[in-house]
Amino acid sequence: MTGEWLLERMEEWRDLTAIVWADTGCSYGELLERVERWHSELTRLGVSAGSVVVLDGEVSPNACGLLLALMSIDAIAVPLTRGVRAHRQSFAEIAEAQLIVEFDDDDGWTTTRTEHHVTNPLTGALIDRGRAGLVLFSSGSTGAHKAILHDFGQLIEKFRVSRQRKCTLTFLLFDHVGGIDTLFNTLSNGGSLITLRSRDPESVCSAIADHAVHTLPASPTFLALLLMSQAHRRHDMSSLMVIAYGTEPMPESTLARLAEELPTVTLVQTYGMSELGVLRSRSKESGSLWMQFTGDGFEVKVVDGMLWVRTPTAMLGYLNAPDLIAADGWMNTEDAVEVDGEYLRILGRSTDLINVGGQKVYPAEVESVLARLANVKTVAVYGEANAVMGQIVAARVTLIDPEDIHDFKRRMRAFAREHLAQYKVPVRVELTDDDQFNARFKKMRRPSIVHGSGKEAADGQR
Amino acid sequence: MEGQTFDRDTGIQVVIASLCDVFDLIDEPVPGTLDENTVIVGEGAVLDSLGVVSLIVEIEQRLEQEYEVAVTLASERAMSQRSSPFRTVGVLADYMVTTIEEDGA
Repeated sequence: MTGEWLLERMEEWRDLTAIVWADTGCSYGELLERVERWHSELTRLGVSAGSVVVLDGEVSPNACGLLLALMSIDAIAVPLTRGVRAHRQSFAEIAEAQLIVEFDDDDGWTTTRTEHHVTNPLTGALIDRGRAGLVLFSSGSTGAHKAILHDFGQLIEKFRVSRQRKCTLTFLLFDHVGGIDTLFNTLSNGGSLITLRSRDPESVCSAIADHAVHTLPASPTFLALLLMSQAHRRHDMSSLMVIAYGTEPMPESTLARLAEELPTVTLVQTYGMSELGVLRSRSKESGSLWMQFTGDGFEVKVVDGMLWVRTPTAMLGYLNAPDLIAADGWMNTEDAVEVDGEYLRILGRSTDLINVGGQKVYPAEVESVLARLANVKTVAVYGEANAVMGQIVAARVTLIDPEDIHDFKRRMRAFAREHLAQYKVPVRVELTDDDQFNARFKKMRRPSIVHGSGKEAADGQR
Repeated sequence: MEGQTFDRDTGIQVVIASLCDVFDLIDEPVPGTLDENTVIVGEGAVLDSLGVVSLIVEIEQRLEQEYEVAVTLASERAMSQRSSPFRTVGVLADYMVTTIEEDGA
């Protein structure tokens, strides 16, 4: 039985609030009762150890109850969210799921049986060992969605170490390794998880004030939007102690403004990958982009400027792609890093790297500069194939107020020239009305229009 | 570009207008005379390599915005020609007209 220790621990906190969903609290006792109900329901549905089940929902009491129930009977859970519903059939097929449980807005559910049987050797081996599994899908921002199989028990093993009890706002959903990390980190310490249906800055700040939220895990893109909205000035943020940011490189400009606007909040960088889990780290100081991995049960090394990780929380492998982890357990994260003694600074995905005639440009650095320009709401920088230079720097910009593109370009170049080497200044600039982030508030660096033969986005290499 | 031909004179106008924009963007003064003999690439060129790339992108964007023509001028084909089609304003205008005609055919 996987996670027995966790359910035993939850027993001790029966009266504490585990989850606030749709503005209603659900105690640990109620959550455990739901787990029990799911045990009988799953038996009735013929689900047992080794069954593969898709959960289509959000972090609601019943969906969490099901996730815990599947874990505890050593089944394989495939959590999905509405945002990927268009892919649900193909995801269920890749995961070889036998049952889909879809949750509605009232936390009710419907079940659909599917005809798949487990033939994937990776899943088969996990079942043979009698272990619970968790399948996460990569966001597919650089190509096809990859199905990542984890040993569920192994992934949550690190939470056996007791830590501070906190009230945390869930920003990421449980189809994301960061969302899973937040969920289990909270439940294994008796904390409360505040869930939100709307994730706009106003709702987030209002929930922080209403529930005295201690920790806010969020993406740099969301934090930039928060600063722009100034929602934090309209609500009581005094309970907020920690903002944990991750999932993409943090622009220095956003970080500096965050430190200025919320001086009492500690800003911590987290590092996680769907393939590896979330690795414990500490920032050199609050508001610093330099971080140190604690090496708590995992190892890191830097090879040719790339971060390599070996950890027991690493995936067992992809269900639909060649394995990325070497036989000795080391995985190249493809994140380029700068090293200063014991500290590292994440420069960005090497696959996002733009190569302008042999000179390297990290989109995050250029985005950080352009984000400081007046009238800029969001900016995404990417490489565009160019027959002369190999690649050129291109930028898609969303403005706050309409502005003529020629005027904007002139202003942008003049500003960029003062802060960036000439080859880093975007050559192509496109204005767009769309907000440039996905459902996980992670920046999308792909151009909207691909035209002409030589203009494919340069990020399709992975 | 419906019912309208894109001739050499229009091409030269587009190149010169784009060239002025690039000088403006890189904050360099526009050289005294800009005509079809102005050298873009090679000895006596008015732009460096990054400037040339900016010019090509500028021209492509101008063609798209003002003439509704989508072409890729910085192509493998352009780069593989023994004599660069970006040499002078006139040569580039010729190359642009040819590329538009071929793409539209």
